[in-house]
Amino acid sequence: MKRTLKRSWLIFIVVIAFLAGLGFLVIETILNAADWVDQPYNGHISGSGGLIQAGKISDRKGRVLAESVDGKRVYHSDAQVRRALLHVVGDDSLNISTAIQSQFRSELTGYSFLWGLDMPQSFRHGHDMELTVDAKTCKTAYNKLKDYDSGACVIYNYETGEVICSVSTKTYDPNGPPKITKKNEEQYEGVYLDNVLSSTYTPGSIFKIVTAAAAIDNIPDIWERTWYCGGKENIGGSDITCVGSHGTVNLKQAFGHSCNIVFAELAVELGEKKMNEAAEKLGINASFTISGINTKKGRYNISKANKNQLAWSGVGQYTDEVNPMQMAVICGAIAKGGTPTIPYIISGNSGSILADIGLTKIGTTGKNMLSPSTAEKIGGLMRYAVVHDYGDTMFGGLKVCAKTGTGETVKGADSDKNDGWMIGYCTDSGCPLAFACVVRGSSEYGYSTAGQVAKAAVIQAAKSIKD
Amino acid sequence: MTLIMDIAVVALRMLLPVYTLVIVYQIFAAMRRRRRPERPLVLLQDLETGEKTPVLFWENSIGRSRGSDIAIDDPAVSRNHCVLLRRKEGWFITDTGSKTGTYVNGKRVGSRRAMLNIDDTITLGNREYAFRRGEEFHEELQSSWFFSKVSNKPAIQPYKILILVSLFHIFMAVEACFCDGAKDFDPAVLCGCLVGVEWLFYFVSRVILRRAAFELEALGLFFTGIGVMLLARQNVKNAVLQPAYVQLIAAVAGMIAFCILIKFIENPDRIGKWRLIIMIAAVLLLGINLVFGRVTNGSANWVHIGPVTVQPSEFVKIAFIFVGASTLDRLQTKQNLLEFIIFSAICVGALAFMGDFGTALIFFGTFLLISFTRSGDFKTVILALTGAGLGGFIVLNMKPYVLRRFQGWRHVWQYTQDSRGYQQARVLTYIASGGLFGVGIGNGVLKYVAASESDLVFGLMSEEMGFISALTVAIAIAALFIYARSVTTRSRSTFYSISACCAAGLFVIQMSLNVFGATDILPLTGVTFPFISAGGSSIISCWGLLAFIKAADERTYSK
Repeated sequence: MKRTLKRSWLIFIVVIAFLAGLGFLVIETILNAADWVDQPYNGHISGSGGLIQAGKISDRKGRVLAESVDGKRVYHSDAQVRRALLHVVGDDSLNISTAIQSQFRSELTGYSFLWGLDMPQSFRHGHDMELTVDAKTCKTAYNKLKDYDSGACVIYNYETGEVICSVSTKTYDPNGPPKITKKNEEQYEGVYLDNVLSSTYTPGSIFKIVTAAAAIDNIPDIWERTWYCGGKENIGGSDITCVGSHGTVNLKQAFGHSCNIVFAELAVELGEKKMNEAAEKLGINASFTISGINTKKGRYNISKANKNQLAWSGVGQYTDEVNPMQMAVICGAIAKGGTPTIPYIISGNSGSILADIGLTKIGTTGKNMLSPSTAEKIGGLMRYAVVHDYGDTMFGGLKVCAKTGTGETVKGADSDKNDGWMIGYCTDSGCPLAFACVVRGSSEYGYSTAGQVAKAAVIQAAKSIKD
Repeated sequence: MTLIMDIAVVALRMLLPVYTLVIVYQIFAAMRRRRRPERPLVLLQDLETGEKTPVLFWENSIGRSRGSDIAIDDPAVSRNHCVLLRRKEGWFITDTGSKTGTYVNGKRVGSRRAMLNIDDTITLGNREYAFRRGEEFHEELQSSWFFSKVSNKPAIQPYKILILVSLFHIFMAVEACFCDGAKDFDPAVLCGCLVGVEWLFYFVSRVILRRAAFELEALGLFFTGIGVMLLARQNVKNAVLQPAYVQLIAAVAGMIAFCILIKFIENPDRIGKWRLIIMIAAVLLLGINLVFGRVTNGSANWVHIGPVTVQPSEFVKIAFIFVGASTLDRLQTKQNLLEFIIFSAICVGALAFMGDFGTALIFFGTFLLISFTRSGDFKTVILALTGAGLGGFIVLNMKPYVLRRFQGWRHVWQYTQDSRGYQQARVLTYIASGGLFGVGIGNGVLKYVAASESDLVFGLMSEEMGFISALTVAIAIAALFIYARSVTTRSRSTFYSISACCAAGLFVIQMSLNVFGATDILPLTGVTFPFISAGGSSIISCWGLLAFIKAADERTYSK
């Protein structure tokens, strides 16, 4: 009998294994329940994309961007605001997968891990979400962006991480979503993509920030050197061309004039390893998580580049690609002494238990990108560019450090298809804004396209965060 | 008005999980408190030293081996010398092939039992012992942790436990009556029948059969009732008898089987005689199944007899435990497992051939538990596992649909619209939709998915009654092993202790396959959740297996 009892430990192990399995199930459920609920077949949330019982979405000033009234989803009354914030808020179709209404449908429809979904009608209320964006700034940015094929504009507070403006075009009115057919396919190409988070563009000259960072870190006499720019130069067998003939320039002037020759030479001098190091450190090939949504990774890959291509890669051409949100974060890092605050877009979420007990991480600090001294020096270069090239009055009295760029999407052939950029940040106290704007499909340079979007949006954003 | 109703509905939903915890706690607490006095049954007193050795079990092996219940450190004593056992008629001693022999009052005892009387002298090797009453032992005995350090608070009265259980089922009926879109009070009628059955069973147990305790039965009724009430709103159009009533009737049959089985295994000596007959009957049953079985849901383990559908493999479970636990009388001295291994191989093989791999896996797991508990032999376990691994490999090659299930395993979200992940994905979605407190009986959506009331019942329970209740029920069934292990210290024979522990083990294995299969932690094999899943054969078999645990408690047979 004693033996029998002793040997029953094997059964005991089976019981323990079962309990361990239950524990595993509980953990899996806690971690994934919200995703499990969000299924198109879920009978507890059907109709209107499941949004008929969803809660309110409002901007930082409490302006209601979307709410459910009498079984219908109603969006903001101003058509321009609706279009500006389509990609942030989403529509009934759930086609924009990164939008709040798609990503957080279960939370909005009143799901909570504790209560599940099917509360009696009197208690059933959706959870509300407050966003950090400012509808007015977004509208301003949209009104500038709408003149171009497509584009994106993002502004965030680099101290707190709040995203003030996030606009993506092409767009449409969520009150009348288009039926996309073979006929109008081209007109709406990429309309379900939020360009701020999910697209990448050729950076052009804004990539000179990366090359400059590598040069400052690795070439000791960089500030004493001068270069000669004659408009073009043969590097590695073909010409690198410049926008003008800048003559003899030092680093500051080269950055201000956006001289291709200097930065192409620097890229070749630094070589593959050091360029890669700088790009890696600045997170060009990485993705950032903005309120649970991942940004598209940029690309800096010179593993197969020849000397000429390496030279072009240093001025943001070759196969280089960057994402607007990513560039805003890099500007935020420069402003913050090298380590960025990661942006977020949801400031309040009454549906999340984690938020209820104050555990959701907002405004977290990201990985270090630059040493404080390098950040300060690059900031100086960007400030110089504004003062000497764009004009300090451009941002209506705000002290801004910035860089423009023009990415050639189709090299040499169709000059109508440039990607114009302006990225930068504001150093005024009480106005810690970092921004990145990009405009596609203009023959002009970044300054005159994206620059105008940035200018209008940043001025409005500065006003909005002060009131 | 609707607001008041809604508040009541929500309050009831929140009450149920808490209530589940209370019931399970009360039942297990009562099991603990209702302990027996920890006194040795008899004792052996060394005539030379006067040292008293307590005899704790109904069956005790005596020998030089350390694993013996009574170990004697004497070179003249064989490793397995003799067996001291208690039967209804009194105490007996049997020699188990010792070299120096066993003597009672100077007379040699053979392999046939010799009766012992108090103060008889037993001679083993160079030692002489006097056979004394247990009352002469005055030291404290160590008891199993489940029964140790129990406060002196008296256990809750059995009828009070049953009131708690019945009230729980009534609450479930109230929820079902007021579920979304309900227009009738059918669940109330069903609940009336259920509560009637519960109290009838109580009356039979306590008054007619005069059973000492009712906790185990109450737990069985609690689970059975949950299963029945979950079916309250699962109506089938044009059915002669709605599934809930079929389940209730089968449960009554199960309770009758429970009583008969306890009576049948009352006499430990009779068990050995029936062993072969039951083994043959079980093989025949599976044979009939193989010949007449109709393929339902991919496996052919259903037999249709007129309007009734029977799953013979469920009844074979009872026979399997019975055959596995009934060693020949020479307690643990004969380690010949061959017969049982062959029997197990036939059972597992037949089930695999029918395509019911889930049940085959349950039998195989139970085989491992029984053979190890009986022999303590790791080699057998490892050999069996290797064999099963090989068999599994062959099965995967021969039955493509099994392999298909493996493809979906841990990837169900890629296959939400086909058979690889359809059921599991819905189980997870609706577990999450139910939250901790559930959406209420009858409000679930999972019930529209095939097999929701059987293979996926954990999901259904979780959705309608809440995650807390579902987990509590699962843990309570697993805890049956703890109870079985604790009561078997005083089992009347190793048969009872092995059968009780292994029946509890079988429940846990089956429940693991059910719960983890439905929730995509293991591949979905389609087995039932003990007591809760709808299925007549299944519920009868569960009550039958529960009888083994009940029989392990010696008080079951003390009048």
